Amino acid sequence: MSALNNLFSNFKNALYKNYGENPGKMLVHTGVLGWVLSSLAQVSAIVFNDKISTEQKSFLIPQEIADAGVNILSFYLITSSFKRVASKLVKTGKLSTKPIREFLSKNGLNSPKYIGNRKFNIENLANFQDIKSEYRPFKNGVDVVASTVGSIISCNIVTPVLRNEYAAKKQKQALAKMHENEQKIVYPKGVSISDYQKLSAMKYSNSGYLKI
Amino acid sequence: MRINSTGVEKFYNNAQQRVLNLFPNKVCKGTGAINFFKSTGENISSAEQRLILGASALMSQPFIDANNKNVDEKTRKVSVARTIAKIIAGTTTGFIIRKGCISAIKALSKPNAAGVPKYKTFFTPNVVKQTNTDAFMQYRNAMGTIVALVVMMFTNFAIDAPLTRYLTNNLVKKQEDKDVSVK
Repeated sequence: MSALNNLFSNFKNALYKNYGENPGKMLVHTGVLGWVLSSLAQVSAIVFNDKISTEQKSFLIPQEIADAGVNILSFYLITSSFKRVASKLVKTGKLSTKPIREFLSKNGLNSPKYIGNRKFNIENLANFQDIKSEYRPFKNGVDVVASTVGSIISCNIVTPVLRNEYAAKKQKQALAKMHENEQKIVYPKGVSISDYQKLSAMKYSNSGYLKI
Repeated sequence: MRINSTGVEKFYNNAQQRVLNLFPNKVCKGTGAINFFKSTGENISSAEQRLILGASALMSQPFIDANNKNVDEKTRKVSVARTIAKIIAGTTTGFIIRKGCISAIKALSKPNAAGVPKYKTFFTPNVVKQTNTDAFMQYRNAMGTIVALVVMMFTNFAIDAPLTRYLTNNLVKKQEDKDVSVK
């Protein structure tokens, strides 16, 4: 029981350290997890919906799977890229507020040698504590805005276009396969289709009614 | 084939610098812009983000599906109906559950102090000394979101999926009735 308590305590502390000062990162990570779980439910919703025809299911199921796959990928590629670039802009002082820029000037760092240089990071400065209370809320806000814009672009524009392309291709393949199977039906030689249907009905129907 | 890690690193660093160079130097001077970023960081949790995503999804996704010329008309109509249903169901439940869980975590992560019942500090990390900081608010949002995701593992099946199915069937039926009346 105490091991479980320790585990939970470590989990809470890790969460506090990782996401407490980085809400943008949290939004990206939980967003990915959320899409995985909701896609699982959506796929099963189509599979068990008997009002959707097999033909439509052959489109909608791959559409949903593609939706999940593309969402996860686009979340990592687009959303986290947006967040990373925004973070870097703030860390290098390229996007800042007046007090942050004044802090940099006071420290002799307000020059192109530092501002916008990928190696420069305000957070690593020895006297970072002096500007932390101004810098941190601003950076968190920029991160959250960037993550949100990135997720709107990835989930609402890139994903629907890509998943439709993928699902349409899958539907065409599925329909071609279905037609191929239909063509493979070989009727017995010398027997017409209607005679064959009657024979089948007699063979498989207990009540004698035509079931085909 | 051996990947030259130094080459990859150099390429990545150059690409990163080039991306940074694309942006102009920007100093937010107006209090409006600064307050916007600060309040966004403080107030936008995963629940609000889900709502923003849902609203913007309704404005884009159905139109993308309606203009998908790769499928026949009937499939396209079902696809649009399902997309709308999925957005409505997902956004409504997603927002309510996230918001509810974040509120619950707030109530159960009070500061460790005399007179505070133990269950009210169940989600309070022991490294935390102050609970009125922005970092602690963000922790509550993160914990609330994670708890919400666990809850949604069940509600996705129990609420989302049947609600999406119900809304899809209703929307398809409405569309079919409309088509019949036009004919």
